[in-house]
Amino acid sequence: MPDWTPVALLRDLPPLVVMPVTVDGVDLALWRSASGRIAAWADRCPHRGMRLSHGFVRGEALSCIYHGWSYAQSGQCQRIPAHPDLEPPEAIRVPVHHATEAGGVIWVALDTVTTAPPALAGVQPLRSVTLDARFDPASAGLTESGGAWRGTLGGVAVAVLVQPLPDNRCALHVLAESKASPTDLVAASRGIETLRRQAEGVSA
Amino acid sequence: MILYDYALSPDCYKIRLLAALTGAKLTLRAVDFHPGGEHRSPAFLAINPGGTIPVMQDGTLTLTDSAAILTFVAAKSGPAWLGDDSPEMRARVAQWLAFAQRLSASIGKARTHDMLQKPADIVACRKAGVQCLREIEAALVERHLTGDAFLAGNRPTLADIACFPHSMLAPDGGISVDPYPAIRLWTRSVRALPGFIEMPGIHRLHDLKPEPVGVPE
Ligand SMILES: N[C@@H](CCC(=O)N[C@@H](CS)C(=O)NCC(=O)O)C(=O)O
Ligand code: FES
Repeated sequence: MPDWTPVALLRDLPPLVVMPVTVDGVDLALWRSASGRIAAWADRCPHRGMRLSHGFVRGEALSCIYHGWSYAQSGQCQRIPAHPDLEPPEAIRVPVHHATEAGGVIWVALDTVTTAPPALAGVQPLRSVTLDARFDPASAGLTESGGAWRGTLGGVAVAVLVQPLPDNRCALHVLAESKASPTDLVAASRGIETLRRQAEGVSA
Repeated sequence: MILYDYALSPDCYKIRLLAALTGAKLTLRAVDFHPGGEHRSPAFLAINPGGTIPVMQDGTLTLTDSAAILTFVAAKSGPAWLGDDSPEMRARVAQWLAFAQRLSASIGKARTHDMLQKPADIVACRKAGVQCLREIEAALVERHLTGDAFLAGNRPTLADIACFPHSMLAPDGGISVDPYPAIRLWTRSVRALPGFIEMPGIHRLHDLKPEPVGVPE
C-alpha cells in the first residue's frame, strides 16, 4: 500500500475550511488553519463523538460544532467553553495523521511515511470528482507514468490521481496540462463528467 | 407583502432569505404544514389551489411559485439580484430558477419523506437529488474556471438564493454533500453575505460568530 493517499486539491481547501475525507476506510477531518497549515485528524470529537468535519476553524484551532471544545494543532484540547477556566487534561487529544501539500494536491498518510508524495510537474489543478463505482484507468485509456494516470480528457492532457473509497466508490483528483486555457479546462471538466458516466455504466 | 410561510420549508426560507438580504419587509403568515396539513385545508386551497407553499399576496397579486415570488421581491426591493448585468447572466438566472424546481422535486421530497414521513419513491428522489448536486457542482467549477464565484456570474443573484437551501439541506433527505468541494465553498460564500439569516439546519459561518462562552453541555 502506498504511503500517501491523494485526498483533495489544495484549491478546494482554503484557510478556515474543514472537510471530511476517507483514507484506507478511516474517516478524517481535513482542515486548514488561518495561517494555511494543513491537518488530517480522526473525524471524531473526544467529547461525545461528533464529527469534527462538521466543526469550524478559528485561527489555528479546530472547534467542534456540538459543544465548542477546541483543539490546537497538536490535537490537544485547549478550551472547553462550558468550563472556561479549566485547563483541559492532556488525555483529551484527537489522533493526528500526516498531511502535506505537493504540486497543488493534498496528501494524507495514516502511519509512518518513508517517502515523499509524487511531485507532479507541468500540470495545474482542475477538479476532484467522486465516482459511485470502481475506476479502471486502463479502460478509460489512461496509462501510468510518474505517479499519476496520464491521458486526455476533452482534448486536454491530464494527470489523474485515484483515491479509493469504501463501498466500491472512489474519488479522482484531476490536473490538466499547465498551458491549458480556461476554455480547454471547461472541456476537460466536461470530459471528466463523461468519464464518470462511463465508469458508472450510465448510458448516454 | 404577505408570505404564507413554514419555518422548515426550504422554498419558504429562500423568500425570507432574499427579503433579509434586500431589506424587504414581509408579513409572515405561518402555515401549519406539519402535522396540521393546513396547506390542504379549504381556506388555503382557496388561496393556492395547487396546495403548495410558499404563497405571496401583495394587494390583488397572488403568487404561488417560489421563482415568481423571488422575482417579485427582487424587482421591488433589490433589482441587482435579478442579475441583469448581461444577457448571459439574466438567462443563467432564469435557468437556475427553473432548475430549483428539480431540487424541490428530488431533495425536497426526499427530505419530507425522511423528516415528516411523507410518501415518496425515496430511491428515485435520492438518485435525482445526487444528479442535481452534480450539475450544480459542474456549473460552479465552470464558473470558477472563467473567473466567477457564483452560479450566474461574478456576484450573487436569485440563481444562488434559489439553489442554496436544498444544497445545504440534502443530508436531511439522506443525500450526502461530502463529494462536492465547489458547492462547499459556494455555500460558505452565501452564508457569509451581509444580512444572511438562518433556518434550522442552515447556519451562518461559525468562524464569523463570537467565541462561545458558558455553553451548557
Ligand atoms: N413549485 C413550488 C414548489 C414548492 C414546494 O414543493 N413546497 C413544498 C413544501 S417545501 C410543498 O408545498 N409541498 C406540498 C406537499 O407536500 O403536499 C415552488 O417552488 O414554490
Ligand atoms: S461532542 Fe464535540 S464538543 Fe461535545
